[in-house]
Amino acid sequence: MIDIRHLTYSYPNKKRPSLEDVTLHIDAGEFVLLAGPSGAGKSTLLRCLNGLTPHFSGGTIAGQITVAGHDVLAAGPQTLSRFVGFVFQDPESQAALDQVEPEIAFALENAAVPPEEMRLRVEEALNLLDLSRLRERPLTDLSGGERQRVAIAAALALRPRILVVDEPTSQLDPQSAEDVLQALVRLNEDLGLTIVLVEHRLERVLRYVDRLIYMEQGRILVDNPAGLALAAMPQQQTPPLIRLGLALDWQPLPLTVKEALRFVPDDYPVAPPAAAAATQSTPLLAARGLRFSYGRTPVLRDLNIEVAPGEAVALMGRNGSGKSTLLKCLVGLLQPAEGSILLNGQDISRRQVAEICRQVAYLPQNPDDLLFADTVAEELAVTLRNHGLAPGQTAGGFDEPYQPQAVLAQLGLADLADAYPRDLSVGQRQRVALGAVTVTAPLLWLLDEPTRGLDYQAKQDLIAIWRRWQALGAGLLLVTHDVELVAHIAERVVIISQGEIIANGRTADLLPTSPLFAPQISRLFPRSGWLTAEEALAGLHSQIYLQENYCA
Amino acid sequence: MVTGMDDYLDARAWAVWVLAAAGLTMTARNPLYSLIILLAARLVTAEWGRAANRFPIPFWRIGLIMLLFSLLFNGLFVPIGNTVLFRLPDWPLIGGPVTLEAIVFGLSNGLLLWTLLAVFLALNAIVPVYQLVRLTPRAFHDLGVVVLIALTYLPETARHLRRIREAQAVRGLQLRGWRDWRPIFLPLLIGGLERAMQLAESMVARGYGATLDVAQRGRVRLLLAATLLSAFGGWLAMLWQQPLLGGGLVGLAGLVLAGLLWHLGRRAPTSRYRPTVWQRADTLVLATAVLPLLLVWLPWPGVDYASLYYSPYPTVSGPAFDPVLGLALAFLCLPAFMRRGQRAAPAPASAYLPDGYHD
Repeated sequence: MIDIRHLTYSYPNKKRPSLEDVTLHIDAGEFVLLAGPSGAGKSTLLRCLNGLTPHFSGGTIAGQITVAGHDVLAAGPQTLSRFVGFVFQDPESQAALDQVEPEIAFALENAAVPPEEMRLRVEEALNLLDLSRLRERPLTDLSGGERQRVAIAAALALRPRILVVDEPTSQLDPQSAEDVLQALVRLNEDLGLTIVLVEHRLERVLRYVDRLIYMEQGRILVDNPAGLALAAMPQQQTPPLIRLGLALDWQPLPLTVKEALRFVPDDYPVAPPAAAAATQSTPLLAARGLRFSYGRTPVLRDLNIEVAPGEAVALMGRNGSGKSTLLKCLVGLLQPAEGSILLNGQDISRRQVAEICRQVAYLPQNPDDLLFADTVAEELAVTLRNHGLAPGQTAGGFDEPYQPQAVLAQLGLADLADAYPRDLSVGQRQRVALGAVTVTAPLLWLLDEPTRGLDYQAKQDLIAIWRRWQALGAGLLLVTHDVELVAHIAERVVIISQGEIIANGRTADLLPTSPLFAPQISRLFPRSGWLTAEEALAGLHSQIYLQENYCA
Repeated sequence: MVTGMDDYLDARAWAVWVLAAAGLTMTARNPLYSLIILLAARLVTAEWGRAANRFPIPFWRIGLIMLLFSLLFNGLFVPIGNTVLFRLPDWPLIGGPVTLEAIVFGLSNGLLLWTLLAVFLALNAIVPVYQLVRLTPRAFHDLGVVVLIALTYLPETARHLRRIREAQAVRGLQLRGWRDWRPIFLPLLIGGLERAMQLAESMVARGYGATLDVAQRGRVRLLLAATLLSAFGGWLAMLWQQPLLGGGLVGLAGLVLAGLLWHLGRRAPTSRYRPTVWQRADTLVLATAVLPLLLVWLPWPGVDYASLYYSPYPTVSGPAFDPVLGLALAFLCLPAFMRRGQRAAPAPASAYLPDGYHD
């Protein structure tokens, strides 16, 4: 179905090729996962499958690409649209119209498909993606998962033989992500559709795929069935369960929690009952009785939340549950109708946004909304100037001088200080944005989905950056759908639904009991209190040590 | 309230209804008649409008602002009329007497503007944008798609602007002068371009433009140039007192242009999802638009056409009212009382599904 030989491609004005001597063969009906760090060339390779690269992007290309019997370089994307359906990462940027049914029919109208057949195809697509009940709805009323399913339905309307999907779940909560992936599995298994998928959160998709292709720096390094491929990949790019399996030499390597259960010893250590958490006399952040509505729709209902100095709290919940609204209320971007917000005991609920943000760093979902300066260093300098501060001046939350260069070094951006921010990778841009909001040495960090589109290594970098600030006593309130990140970073988890807190407790107590948010290791060792592969390894090794030395 | 796509009437019928209502609003410059048309527009919107297409600002609030603005503008700037309410000092432009007549005329004009807005909001609420764009001739299909996407893009751009303003505000940005807008303008521009590129990629990936025949583009351009020359020559001939030759050349240009549009329409083959078929209900809507036009615009005996115009000057008095004209304008609200069932029921969606797709 797909045959690529010795493909090398460079974007215009780029010296280093984005794809280098790529050779790949995919059979009809295969479900293939493309993995690799940011900037590895995954999305470029996807775009080669329907000719967007090079026909749309320009650049120089060498090699041969044959898709469904067509020479891609000769045919171009418009011809290939009948064979290859393409779903982009951001569903909002790919919709031409504003309503579900016309959006799905758009491609068919332009292809001059007769009305009777068009009606049939739209109904097929609606049914396959379980969208029939949403057919009349405007796209703006849909959740992220529903919009992504509309994008897939729109791609399917032309009845392609191959579906190419670029990070479809990066913006979705676990349940919505599962809905989208299940839809892809149905298409693959029931219709025999060939699917090529790029995804960073491998733990979500490994169970479904036939093959895993791992790329780095434009080259395919590994191309094997998932189990074999994972063993050959760099370990820091694999999910926690795989890291644990590799470390403990589980054979065959389990891809899912279900497969791993047979390796779990019956007598793994059980966590002792959690001690009552020590109460802080003065929380860093204390928001009490917050109420907020958009028009007549209540979004926050009498919500209370606290963050202690040096504490990381994860705020979790379905899309639209009010998490981002809460963060905006905390920094003054939205004014709650009722309630108080205390920072270090001081009421900040009536202060200006700029005044609050000297002590509170708020990183919105899209870092590109922050970036406009010519250099990375200038981005940090602009924030200081906006606040009327100067490098070297001492007035920060921790009574330390503002040191943009030191912040850049902590963020691993010292070498990129003169680079244009928008030329950087997703992970680097995220770090620049983080530097732009934390250069004022804030007491409290509010991060909204900071790992969207980041690979495992970039997440580890983010965690390391946070640990340094945590040691100084900063507090963190983190909105995320990434349960593995929460397992690593958060001491406490707050789950929110329809603007109300429905659960609040220690991460080790709360996450393992949640069917929706439990990380892989918790599902595997539910009574252990372990959340990460590292904790599990440490726990199991200590048990082996005890057994070998005292129970023999 | 409309609930499903099959509840739509033909966009052409609604377009005629709206044009007729707007034309009548401009003709009947009498607050009593304006009020009738306003009520008709609101009744029709309430029955046929779609909740998703509703205007985000409450209708009464817009009306209040329009009435107030018009009242103040006319009251302060037009010092004409016999009933002086009070006098302003001799300020430039707005100094002098403020009269009851000027205020009443301002209110009357405000009501007229509010009525026009109600009529066009009715179109916005009743007909989806993509159906309106479908009214464009096929030769202008690409232009229609561009307009459609631009209209879809506007709300997204507004959301993007709000996000960027928030993001810059948390960096301490305060908007004092035009230079402070750079951190907002640049990400908006770059983000807008990136989204446009992404959308273009998405449209190309979905086959947009694949059916366009570009082989005859050169000949079409030549014909268009010849048409322009013919029209220009005709105009010059008419200037030189050669009406027969001039009319002939202009007529020829018109014919060639019409032929070209037809030809270009054939070159861009597209089809329409759920094409609407003109039905009895559409004819009824059309009739409710055309009948008032015939009654108001044609000179019928016994009708007080002078009542179409109202002026409170020089001394304020109540507007005249002719029951025949009032009744004629009230025809506009009849679509609000049409039963939805008058439209033929379409086949259920499941009827189009092959075996294996039924639930």
